[in-house]
Amino acid sequence: MSVIEHEPSGMADKGLKGGSLGLVAVIVIGVASTAPGYSLAASVGFVTDSVAEKAPFIILFAFVPMACIAAAFYYLNKADPDCGTNFTWGVRSFGPKAGWIAGWGCIVADLVIMPNLAGISGQYLVLLFDESAADNIWLTTFIGILFILAMTWICWKGIEMSARSQVLLLSTELIVLAVFAVIALSKSFGDGITRTFNDVEYSSVKPSLSWMSPSGISASSITAGLVVAVFIYWGWDTCVSVNEEAKDSATTPGRAAVLSTLILLAIYLVVTYGAVSLLGPQFVTDNADEALFQLGKAALPDWMVKLLVISILTSAAASCQTTILPATRTMLSMGSHGAAPPKLAQIDRKRLTPDFSTWLFGVGSIAWYLLLVIISNNTDTDAYSASIAAVGMAIAVYYGLSGISCIVYYRRFLTKTAKNFFLIGVLPGFGGVVLLYVFCKTVWDSRNAEYGYGTLFGVGTVLVIGTLLLVVGVPLMLWCSRRYPLFFTYRPDPADLVKDPNQADTLAAPLGTYTRSNPTGAGAGKDV
Amino acid sequence: MAVQLVVGVGGDSGGTEAARFAATVAAATQGSLVLVFGYEVSPMGPRGGALEDEIEAIGIEITDAVKAQLAASHPGLAVDVELVRDRPVESLIQVALTRGADAIVVGHGGRGPMRGALLGSITYEIVHRSPVPVVVVPEPDEE
Repeated sequence: MSVIEHEPSGMADKGLKGGSLGLVAVIVIGVASTAPGYSLAASVGFVTDSVAEKAPFIILFAFVPMACIAAAFYYLNKADPDCGTNFTWGVRSFGPKAGWIAGWGCIVADLVIMPNLAGISGQYLVLLFDESAADNIWLTTFIGILFILAMTWICWKGIEMSARSQVLLLSTELIVLAVFAVIALSKSFGDGITRTFNDVEYSSVKPSLSWMSPSGISASSITAGLVVAVFIYWGWDTCVSVNEEAKDSATTPGRAAVLSTLILLAIYLVVTYGAVSLLGPQFVTDNADEALFQLGKAALPDWMVKLLVISILTSAAASCQTTILPATRTMLSMGSHGAAPPKLAQIDRKRLTPDFSTWLFGVGSIAWYLLLVIISNNTDTDAYSASIAAVGMAIAVYYGLSGISCIVYYRRFLTKTAKNFFLIGVLPGFGGVVLLYVFCKTVWDSRNAEYGYGTLFGVGTVLVIGTLLLVVGVPLMLWCSRRYPLFFTYRPDPADLVKDPNQADTLAAPLGTYTRSNPTGAGAGKDV
Repeated sequence: MAVQLVVGVGGDSGGTEAARFAATVAAATQGSLVLVFGYEVSPMGPRGGALEDEIEAIGIEITDAVKAQLAASHPGLAVDVELVRDRPVESLIQVALTRGADAIVVGHGGRGPMRGALLGSITYEIVHRSPVPVVVVPEPDEE
């Protein structure tokens, strides 16, 4: 905990001071914000669609680049722990234009995810009451919109669940998922079961360790799977960046990161194994939209299916928070640093949340969601499903950029020690390159109709959805550069003025210290 | 005897009535006041930098306004201000303990008991957790 004396300076030191979160709290935040139940419900079907029974491999493999990027986040956060993350780090590494686009990329990634969150929530909420109505697209869309509104309202109100309710919800979620996995696996390892669903007969497949090896899958299938699967670790990085608030910040963060990672990997792995084996991979593929629900029905008693659905719903709510908050905080940071309209940085005096940004993002998400649903319903193009496949593209591009930012920013220190070389260079670089490769490969593979989901303007839908909003950022950036010229005179931090991330004092000079007319920041921003 | 009181300001209830009440008591006993503005940014997203700077600016603005009001109504009363980066309840208790305050004074807005229990009302929590006496002052509804 830190106490800031109002007088004399008012604005004491920037950044967070160590202090209030214990080990369990940090783990709970890390796991809950990754939203395992929802992540699995949303992606296990689409991953299996790409690689069939090799889904466990993809689930494990997707973690590698995300973990590498977490190292980049960790080190960049040391230089500038700003809620604008990629935006501020982008400015410091590459300059204002690239930083602006990196910030936009983060907002867009969040925006692209919202319809999926809303859609899954709508669908599962309907499934809870009346299974036959879950195919009614207008009903689920209506509920999905209400869901977005509710979550936006919660983020605007700044409502926090008490630690106890959060632990309760998360443990229910994990227990239900674990029970599902154990029952499913014991059935598929045992005599197996057979079910007829929509006139197709599916039966159990014996799980095999080879499902964790990449042998026999094409590079295109791997990237198609990866671009969906990177999404399941989205939010995990919060656990790493939340570090500095841990009670004992020397050991808690490290331990929390390791423990939350193990919990996540274990639950993802056993549930994926259970899902793929219970009625075979084909069943998961054929029912990609609601795979977990249908499998739950085949494996679990009725009341537990309801609990599973409820867990997925609460998990979707947590995921929604971890999607809205980064987006609105990036908007706030951009507004506050003078890169975009200052209105974006407006904060509600009572609730202490960025009200304008929050509602703008909420309304934007609903508009984007409606657009996708309307296109899907009136054309042969399944824009809505394509957006699920495209989510990873947005994540890949902005996470990939952070990896590269880290190397560029700390270039002076890379070769100082072997530890630096590995943690600041190799890991972020590898993560960045893999994610940017996944992005480029998806762009190439999805350019035409063969990728699935139809076409828009003669181009593959996934490509259009995955890049459309990103491209819109360029004219917006140019508009801002005309309106807010000062920000666009900022220069990247000079390499020789970047501080050693392994020393006690790691904070960089305030954003805007280095400008075109004053590239070395001489005399400016000497921490007041 | 000189009574030292810690007053929570900002948030849903505002705390202006609480501050006025506390000032009356403190002034009558030649005591002093500490205005506390506690805030914690949700850890479900990235924090720090611009966000906390903006919130801090609001905290300063709110505490300055209350301080100015008290200076007008109770001239000569010693009023300190602390901005704390933690949950409001933790902030109040921590400041009360480090300062050795006699009591904590908080305002109470129009939240119903049910909502308070679900969402963790500050008033409810501090009454149950504070190691020093707590005074709850009704605040008029602003909205």
